[in-house]
Amino acid sequence: MSIREALADIKALIAEENFHGAYRELGKIASPDHEFPIQQRMARLMRAIPPEALGLRSMRIALLAGCTLDHFAEVLGFWAALKGLALDIWMAPFDTIEQTILDHESGLYAFKPDVTWIFSTHRDVLISVPPGADAQMVGKVVDAAVDGTANLWRAIRKGCDCQILHNTADVPVIDVFGNFEVNVGWSIRSLLRSYNLGLAARRPSGVMLFDLDHVAALYGKRRWVDQRYWYHSKHAFAFGATGLVAQQSAAVLSAMAGLARKCLVADLDNTLWGGVIGDDGIEGIRLGSGADGEAFCGIQAYLKALKERGVILSVSSKNDESNAKAPFLCHPDMRLSLDDISVFRANWNNKADNIREIAELLNIGLDSLVFLDDNPVERELVRTYLPMVAVPELPEDPVDYVAALVKEAYFETTSFGDEDRQRATYYRDNARRQDFASSFTNTTDYLKSLEMVADVGNLDPLRLPRVAQLIGKSNQFHLTGTRYSEAQLHAKVDETVVYGRWFGLRDRFGDNGLISAVILERRADAVLHIDTWVMSCRVLSRGMEEFIRNEIVGLARELGCTSVTGLYVPSRKNTLVAGLYARLGFSPAGEEAGTTHWRLELDTGAPGLSTTIRRRTATKDGLVATS
Amino acid sequence: MANEQNIRERLNRIFQETFDDDSISIHDNMTAEDIDEWDSVSHISLVLAVENEFNIRLSAAAVGKLSNVGEMVRLLTEMSDGQ
Repeated sequence: MSIREALADIKALIAEENFHGAYRELGKIASPDHEFPIQQRMARLMRAIPPEALGLRSMRIALLAGCTLDHFAEVLGFWAALKGLALDIWMAPFDTIEQTILDHESGLYAFKPDVTWIFSTHRDVLISVPPGADAQMVGKVVDAAVDGTANLWRAIRKGCDCQILHNTADVPVIDVFGNFEVNVGWSIRSLLRSYNLGLAARRPSGVMLFDLDHVAALYGKRRWVDQRYWYHSKHAFAFGATGLVAQQSAAVLSAMAGLARKCLVADLDNTLWGGVIGDDGIEGIRLGSGADGEAFCGIQAYLKALKERGVILSVSSKNDESNAKAPFLCHPDMRLSLDDISVFRANWNNKADNIREIAELLNIGLDSLVFLDDNPVERELVRTYLPMVAVPELPEDPVDYVAALVKEAYFETTSFGDEDRQRATYYRDNARRQDFASSFTNTTDYLKSLEMVADVGNLDPLRLPRVAQLIGKSNQFHLTGTRYSEAQLHAKVDETVVYGRWFGLRDRFGDNGLISAVILERRADAVLHIDTWVMSCRVLSRGMEEFIRNEIVGLARELGCTSVTGLYVPSRKNTLVAGLYARLGFSPAGEEAGTTHWRLELDTGAPGLSTTIRRRTATKDGLVATS
Repeated sequence: MANEQNIRERLNRIFQETFDDDSISIHDNMTAEDIDEWDSVSHISLVLAVENEFNIRLSAAAVGKLSNVGEMVRLLTEMSDGQ
């Protein structure tokens, strides 16, 4: 089917109000490589679908640029929708980056963006020194340029509470000294590269760089700039690159909104090794030697690297379990071990069911999953039954699998920390807990036997990054949907009006890490209000909700408050906690536009809820057991 | 003039697709005045769609000059004759 026919079919689906069908089909045919007219027509079809029908997360984004972005903005909206975002885009007048930012009366601040994107290019970076300039002069000029950019970031943050996205300079291909430029610090090429590195070094929390220079290289630097459209209408990159820039940046925006994928579910036969383990046996599968045997090692090595950066790995394979596990246990060329896999499902059930089970076991949404399978029939089955799961098309040749996966930009992130390093362990321990749980007939006995200890502490600089990450990424257990950067949290939580508490949980199977945080606001009328409450779903239903509720009540009493209030702001993903406050003894206190208000009066008692969790307080010197 | 007829048909479809209006029927004197959505931004979209459809590359100078349908047809006919 030609693209024209496919677009006509999608138009018909929209006319029939089959919006989900249209969205799915658009996702299937979308490619960053399509020429601009196709990108534009797809964007138009997407705009014809009411965003509320798709339940996309809304994001207000302000675009500031020294180039023309009207055409790009249209296509960006399309790719953002595919990544789960309904963008509301405001564009500053052409070429007014500084003026718009420095004038706090400008439309930027009236718009109240969630994200301000400074879409600069190398043309906006005023940096040059005479040929042959010494290192000291080069350093001074680069620092001055980086300072100038950092000042803009500060000015934005002064005027509004938003995240900032800033482009790296796309190092141009037109040069004067040719290859010699890389050999000296004073050349344009070296200056721009130093400037880009300087931005990364000076980037405060809440500011992300968008690597335009890398995207230019992905597209091909020779064709990156179409001089016709620079001279004619100030378009800074070729129209053919529009889809790629939009796809790559939409992935970053989606990560900034906490919507990036979290888990990769891989098939085994002909995906992680060549051949069929059940038929070919350990000696017969292709892994390690021969061209495609090496390619399968390459795939495994890549998945292992993903796991080490915090992506959860799972397996879904049609196999007998013992056969499926054999290579992991005794093939010398396996790069992945069973310890790398959080949930291992090898059976003869259909894969959609297996994947649904994996999501349930891990307590993550289906829209956090990516499914990797060489078999087009399995891919199509999963796409049909679980449209929220991302299923990349894989090429015929396994040597190209990794590139195909990378191309989709599923696993963008805005941070990396200890939590990410240990995530795989957390989830693997959880799977062991589940096995253990099945040996009990009564939940309380099971919870008691876990020997849980919770750590509680104030929001200190050490925990700030993880708390910001947890607030940024939590979707299911997030009562109000707030998003705060580290800087915002640091400014907000003063421990006189606004209080921040974090919670950690460990048990006989291991440490779950920092798994919950609350931001509480003490209000004038003796009310302690729960502004934000997030919790990792991996510790759900272990009594942590009750424990935290008791902590909040304890703090409220300490502060002389007579009641605690909270909100539930419904989103597409947080129905899990719709009934939380009711379960914790709060009374309904009104409703507006779907948001429910809850109140707990302390003078009428509000006794502590029972849990099996012991409490420890975090102090500067370490953890002290208090009960 | 079969070639010119063919060019007109394809160009008509490009207009319909670019301006998302199946009722558009192009004629030589048609300009941006005749189509509400035809502004400087969509003019570029139109030119890009034409370039794609006919697999040609217009010069920066030509991009600005193509202000009516007649000129487009003339240019496309010339370029395809030259091929």
